[in-house]
Amino acid sequence: MTTTSHHAGNEIPSGLRARIGKFFFAEETSFGLALVRIVICIACLLVTVPRWIHSRELYSSDGAPTPLALNYGYADLLPIPSGGLAVALMTILTFCCTTACIGWCTRASLAISAVLYTYLNLLDSISTMTKYSVITSHVLFLLAFSHCGAVWSVDAWLRRRRLGLPQPTSLAEHPKFAAWPRRLIQILIGVVYFGASVTKLHTPAYFSGDQLWHWMITNVNNANPVGEWMTLYPASLVGFAYLCVIWEILFLFVSWRGWSRVCMLTMGVGFHVMTTLTLGLYLFPITCIATYFAFVNSEDVVAAAARWRRWNRRHGETWLPRFNAVTRLPRVLAVWATTALRPAGLRLTPAGSLGVFGMLLTVVSVGAVEVEYRLDIYGERGPNGPLALKEIDPKVVKQMFAGSKRLREYDKLLAFDIGSSMFGGMITGVRDTFQYGDSIIAQCSLSPPHEDMWLECNLHDANNVLIDRVGQIVVRSQLRGNFLYRACDALDPGTYFLVLRTGTQELTRRKIEILPSDEARCRINAN
Amino acid sequence: MIKRWLTGFGITAYLGTLMFGIVSHAANFQDGSHPSMYFIVWDMFCGWSAYENRTHIVGQGVSGKYYELSPGPWGDYQPYGNISRHHYDSFNLNPQTIAVNCLKHTTHEPMTRLYVVEEAWAKKYNLPESLWQQRYSEPKEPYSYFHVRTVLTPEGQITGNAVPWLSYQTNFTISDNPRLQRESQTSVPMFMVRPISETSSPSAN
Repeated sequence: MTTTSHHAGNEIPSGLRARIGKFFFAEETSFGLALVRIVICIACLLVTVPRWIHSRELYSSDGAPTPLALNYGYADLLPIPSGGLAVALMTILTFCCTTACIGWCTRASLAISAVLYTYLNLLDSISTMTKYSVITSHVLFLLAFSHCGAVWSVDAWLRRRRLGLPQPTSLAEHPKFAAWPRRLIQILIGVVYFGASVTKLHTPAYFSGDQLWHWMITNVNNANPVGEWMTLYPASLVGFAYLCVIWEILFLFVSWRGWSRVCMLTMGVGFHVMTTLTLGLYLFPITCIATYFAFVNSEDVVAAAARWRRWNRRHGETWLPRFNAVTRLPRVLAVWATTALRPAGLRLTPAGSLGVFGMLLTVVSVGAVEVEYRLDIYGERGPNGPLALKEIDPKVVKQMFAGSKRLREYDKLLAFDIGSSMFGGMITGVRDTFQYGDSIIAQCSLSPPHEDMWLECNLHDANNVLIDRVGQIVVRSQLRGNFLYRACDALDPGTYFLVLRTGTQELTRRKIEILPSDEARCRINAN
Repeated sequence: MIKRWLTGFGITAYLGTLMFGIVSHAANFQDGSHPSMYFIVWDMFCGWSAYENRTHIVGQGVSGKYYELSPGPWGDYQPYGNISRHHYDSFNLNPQTIAVNCLKHTTHEPMTRLYVVEEAWAKKYNLPESLWQQRYSEPKEPYSYFHVRTVLTPEGQITGNAVPWLSYQTNFTISDNPRLQRESQTSVPMFMVRPISETSSPSAN
């Protein structure tokens, strides 16, 4: 847990045990962990701040908590706090996430955040607890054991002030600690991806593109217009599905050094950005990308700093003045902090800092409980007492209680696509104009559940006269039925309809054009 | 040295726990045995459905009028996007908690029954109009199915529970089979209660 001196930085140990020892206990400056700390705490705040006003409703016995333990058959695994206490806990969590982010009383802040974040999440399984919150709990827990507050933090600043140390000018002047917390975060995210790939291997519909297709046309995560647009190209989803699962499996094994690390992390960022665009995920990508900073080692920071200095020398005079307002802000803040807090910084011992932290935490929590009480979220203490329930429109009630109906035939149909080639079991190059000799593939996609169905894909001429009937049974486990036609001399050039029918009714039809061709390649029957 | 050993033990324990999660998930071994498994089993996006679901929690007053019990009249809470919190209760485990909390904090006539009604529609109707026109030749006419899932007393005691709407529809796809129907009718579900038991036992299904 503290600094170790078992392995020098560049020493190449021999033997598995020594290599494992170097992997976990090599000393390094905690730049990567500091970045993880800052970003993961911002991700936490994105969860806790909007939910604070709902603390009473989500996490307290004065609301409607939904403990995760109930899903596993444990009714009373965790105590449920009262309304005021839930608000206080949520406030403490938000406060500690903020202080952990800036690195003030870092270890205590992270430890409190890890416990409270996990506890409160466990009390609300339907709207707070998700896999990103689990990853966050792991990371907060690991950071609490680390020295991530040793750099880029208020703690480090206070320490330098107290000891009268100058601002570090080189990497060697920063304190060094064992690398194992960073290694465990790296392994954690690799294991998360590996586990996700196992899930995908368990889900056959993932590889057929059906699962992705359906997730892309729902807004249960958030709005995702790019995903909706991509459903027009279902074959591309099959390609992405395979690419994604290969990346998830490889990540744990090849993301450690060199170009493979750059490649895996770049693909990871691309993957998570795509989950935002296509699935409407926001916090999950932020959380996962926060853990990527654990892959930043001391050498990366030195290289980045050198690159920045080089750029600054060459282009700084041209570009930096344009961003004067932004670049001056940190300097102004630093000067203000140094001037205003110098006396406190000189006096504050670690114990004193913790005391101020505790006092401020208490004041903020008590104040927040009072504010929440006055806000009266249920509206019970208003001039007219508790609010009245909203009556439901009788027409809607009639619909609700009309009795369960069986699925309509049209709702079992997901899509009816016409094209001439296929990829991954899906139609590619959807079109409605064909020339003699072209294959015409009609694909009927069905939504589960459906019974064993008789499907016909019939060819009608422009006057709607049936000229060719083709049928097949699509059993309940199948989601697609394909019909192959050939545009041939037996069909006059012109307009036709491909009509999709079940045994009882027409579901849909598509208009196609068949154009003549000089090459009379096809003289066989239409199907 | 002791610190180093303790750290080594902690690292081994943590990695062992992560490894157990992977094995448990891959082999479906004890993966749902305890809430702690949720922290080591990485089963994101493990399911999917072709139908979008919403849950309506309603109360019937003595006057015969029906009232919305979620979201409460004090305001809606939408954790992600624009969908209310109670719609994310996919296992229907918490409607009584949500309903009773709403009744507790509002003024209303006495209730006779509370209901949980599922609403479902084919997800293809979620497509915006512009994309619908590119994919389908028919006009978009969304259609919702409703299904009473749970009936409760005003105190939140469950008096009736039906299978989820999707299972209800799936059953139809299988049971349209005369041979299967005939064979299943020879075996009526039952649950033996010990005659000496004095307390009523909850139904097994």
